[in-house]
Amino acid sequence: MSHIHIDVENVDFAYENGKPILTDVSFHAAENDSIGLIGANGVGKSTLLKLLVGLNLNYEGSIRVMDIPVEKQTLSQVRSRIGYVFQDSDSQLFMTTAYEDIAFAPRNYGLPEDEVQKRVEHALRMTGIEHLRDKQIYKMSGGEKKLVSIATILSMTPDIILMDEPSIALDPRNRRNLIRILNSFEHLKIIASHDLDMILDTCRRTILMSDGKIIRDGETKEILSDRKLLEDNGLELPLCMQRPADK
Amino acid sequence: MHMADALVAPAVAGTMYVCSAAAAAYSIKKVRLETDTKKVPLMGVMGAFVFATQMINFTIPGTGSSGHLCGGMLLSALLGPYAGFLTMIGVLLIQCLLFADGGLLALGCNIWNMAFYGCFIGALLIWKPMMKKGMSRAKIIVASILGCVLTLQLGAFSVTLETMASGVTELPFTTFVATMQPIHLAIGFVEGLITAAVLVFVYEARPELLFGASQAERKEGRFSFKKTLAILAVAAALIGGLLSLVASSFPDGLEWSIERITGSTELEAAGGVYQAAGSVQEFTSLLPDYAFKGSESALGTTFSGIVGCLVVVALCVGACYLFKFFRKKKAA
Amino acid sequence: MSKIGNAIHEIHQMDTLAARDQWVNQIHPLVKFVLTVGYIMTVVSFPKYDVIGLAGMVVYPVALFLLSDLSFWDSVKRLRLVLPLVCFVGILNPFFDRNVILIGGIRMSAGILSMITLILKGVFSVLASYLLIATTSIEKLCYAFRLLHIPKAMVTQFMLTYRYITVLLGEVNRITQAYSLRAPNQKGVHFKVWGSLAGQLLLRSMDRAEDVYESMLLRGYQGDYGYMRERIAMRWQDVVYLAVWAGLFALFRLCPVMLVIGGLFI
Repeated sequence: MSHIHIDVENVDFAYENGKPILTDVSFHAAENDSIGLIGANGVGKSTLLKLLVGLNLNYEGSIRVMDIPVEKQTLSQVRSRIGYVFQDSDSQLFMTTAYEDIAFAPRNYGLPEDEVQKRVEHALRMTGIEHLRDKQIYKMSGGEKKLVSIATILSMTPDIILMDEPSIALDPRNRRNLIRILNSFEHLKIIASHDLDMILDTCRRTILMSDGKIIRDGETKEILSDRKLLEDNGLELPLCMQRPADK
Repeated sequence: MHMADALVAPAVAGTMYVCSAAAAAYSIKKVRLETDTKKVPLMGVMGAFVFATQMINFTIPGTGSSGHLCGGMLLSALLGPYAGFLTMIGVLLIQCLLFADGGLLALGCNIWNMAFYGCFIGALLIWKPMMKKGMSRAKIIVASILGCVLTLQLGAFSVTLETMASGVTELPFTTFVATMQPIHLAIGFVEGLITAAVLVFVYEARPELLFGASQAERKEGRFSFKKTLAILAVAAALIGGLLSLVASSFPDGLEWSIERITGSTELEAAGGVYQAAGSVQEFTSLLPDYAFKGSESALGTTFSGIVGCLVVVALCVGACYLFKFFRKKKAA
Repeated sequence: MSKIGNAIHEIHQMDTLAARDQWVNQIHPLVKFVLTVGYIMTVVSFPKYDVIGLAGMVVYPVALFLLSDLSFWDSVKRLRLVLPLVCFVGILNPFFDRNVILIGGIRMSAGILSMITLILKGVFSVLASYLLIATTSIEKLCYAFRLLHIPKAMVTQFMLTYRYITVLLGEVNRITQAYSLRAPNQKGVHFKVWGSLAGQLLLRSMDRAEDVYESMLLRGYQGDYGYMRERIAMRWQDVVYLAVWAGLFALFRLCPVMLVIGGLFI
C-alpha cells in the first residue's frame, strides 16, 4: 500500500442537536485515485470533504489520512498534506493580490522567502496564470479567481486535493483549463460536483451519495451511464450521454 | 459626524490619539487575539459588512429622508465591546484613507467619538446589563435605541468640545451645542431603530450569534457594572482634563491668534502679517529688511507675501519638471 | 443605488493608481506615511489668520501631483465630504468674528481670514491623504503600520476588511438593486424589511467569515500571519526625500519664507 491514502470507516456525523448529515460512511482512497463525489443538493458531500480536513471534528467512526487519525492534535499534520479548494473563491482568497494569497500557505509553514517565491511561481505556471501574479483579487473574473484558488493550494505541494464544486461559474474555456489542471495532478484527488461531464473527464472512480449515505462506489463510466440509478438519487445522465438517447 | 483634519488642532488630535490608542491597547489585551484566532477573520469581514451596509439607505416612514446603520452598537452587540471597537477602528481608517471621510489627523478623534462611545458605552453600559437576565425582542429594541442615542449624543458633544478646543470656530459654545445635540438626537433615534431591526432579525434567526447570549461568553467576559463605570469615569476625567489643558493654553481662541499675529493683543496693522509668520523671532532679525524694500507701506508686506507664494509655487513646479526631465533622460 | 457603484469604482481606481510604476510610488511607504501626517500637522498648526504662510504649504501637493503624474481633477471629488463640514463651521466665522485686521492698508475682516485658512487647511489635508493613498498600496501601508508597531492582529484585520469591502459592497449593490427593481417607487429600503434585508446579509457575512477562517486554517494559519515578509528596504533616496520635505515643512512653518522671497522681487 502506498503512503498516500485516506481511510474512512463507519463515519456518522450530525451538527449539534441537528438531524444526522452522514450515516455509516466508509471508503478507502489510494494514491492515484481520482474520485468524483456526486449526489443531489444537501446530501452531505461538502460535509464529508470538511470532515477529511478536520473542519468538523465531532464525528463518530474513524477517519485516517495517511494512517494519521484526524483529530485535534494531528490537524496541522493532516492539513499540511491536503489542499482544499472551497466552493466560493472569495472566501478562499482573503489576501489582496494573487501572489500574496498563493504565498500565504508556504509562509505559514515557515519556508524561507526565496523558496516561497519559487513555490508561488511554480503554482502560477501549473495553473497557467503567470499574468495574474500581482493582480488584485477583486478585479478578477470568477474563472481567474478559481484558478488562483487552485494555485493557492498547489503552492503547498499537497499529496491530496479536495475540491468542492470547482467548475461552478466557469465559462467553457476556463472549465476546459480546469480539467487539464486536474488531470495533470497525479496524486489522490476527490472532487465533489454536480458537473457530471467534468467528473467523467477527470475521475476514474465515482462515489454516489444520497441522504448522508454512500449508495454506490465504483467505476465512473459505469455509474454515470446508469440512468435509473442517477434519477433515483436526484441526478440525471451527463449531458454527453443524453444526446444519443434523445434522438 | 466624521471630524475633518482641518477642524482639529495638533494638540487636540494628539490627545485624542493617545486616548484612542489606550482604549485599543486595552481592547487587544481583552480580546486575546493571539489565542482566539477565529476572531481576526470575523472582525475583518464584519468590518467590511458595516462599511457596506452603511451605504444602504433605509427610508424613514413618514418622512422623505433616510437613515443608516449604527456600526459601533451593531458590532458590539455581535462581537462584544472589545472586538467591536477594534473592528470599528479598521472601518474608520478605511473610510478616511479611501474615501476622505474624516482625516488621518482627526482619526484619533473619530475613533473616540464613534467607536469608543458606541462600543464601550453602548455595549458595556447598556447592552450588557440589559441582557444579563436573558434576551427578548423588546429588550433588544430598547437597548439598541438607548445605546445609539447615547452614543450619538456623547459623540456630538465630543465633536463640539474638540472643535472648540482646537479654536477653529468663532461659534459660541452654547450655539454649537444647541445645534449639534438635537440633530443627533434624531439621528440617534433612527439609527437605533435600524440597528434594532437588524439585531432582532439575528435574534430570531440565530440568537447564539449575539453578544452575551451564550452562557460561556457571559461567564468569560464578566465585567462588573461598577468597574465599567469607574473606568469610564476615569476616562472621562482624563479626557476632560487633557482637553481643558489644551483649551486653557489658548485662553481665548481669538485673542491667542491675534497675539500670535501682531506680537501683542492689540491690533496693529503695520508688520502684522510679517511678524505673524515669524514665530522664531530671532530668525527674523538675521534677515534683511525685505518687507519694506521699495515701499515703506504696509501694503508691501502683503504684496510681497503674495508674490512670494507665487514665486515659490513657480519654483516648485519648475523643479519638478526639471527633476522629471532628468529622470527621463537617465532612463532613456 | 449608484452610490455603491461609485464606491467600488473609487476603490478600483485608487488601486490602479497605487500600482503604477512611478517614482513617488516607489518611495518607502513609511516615509510617505510619516510625511503625510507631518504635513497635515504642520498645515493645521498654522495660526488662523496666517493665510499667506499657510498658502505656501501648497507646494507639497503641487509637487506631488506633478511628480506622480496624478490628475488634480480626479482628486477634487474627494473634497465633497470634507468641504461642506468645514464650510459649515467656517462660514459663520465672518459673522461671529467681526474684528478687523488691517493688512497692507486693507481692512480685512478677521472672520473672513479665519474662514479662508480653515478651508485651505481642509483642502490641503484632504489632498495630502489622497496623494498618499494614490501612490501607496494598502499592502505597503500595512507594512508601514507594522514598522510603527501596530499589532499584527489589527493590521491583518484591517487588510481583511479592505479585502472584503469590495465583496460585500457588491452584495449590497445586488441586494439593493434587486429590491429597487421590485419596489420602483421607493427611494430607500422600507422599514418593514429593514431587519431582514440587512440581517440576511449579516448572517451571510458571518458565514463567510467562518469560511475565510477555515480557508486560513487549512493553509497552516495558527494565529500568526505570514504576509509581507519581503522587506522593503529604506534606500538613500527615501531618506533624502524625507529630509528635504521635513526640512521644507519646518522652514515654511517657522519662517516667513513667502515674505522673504516676495521681498526679493519687489
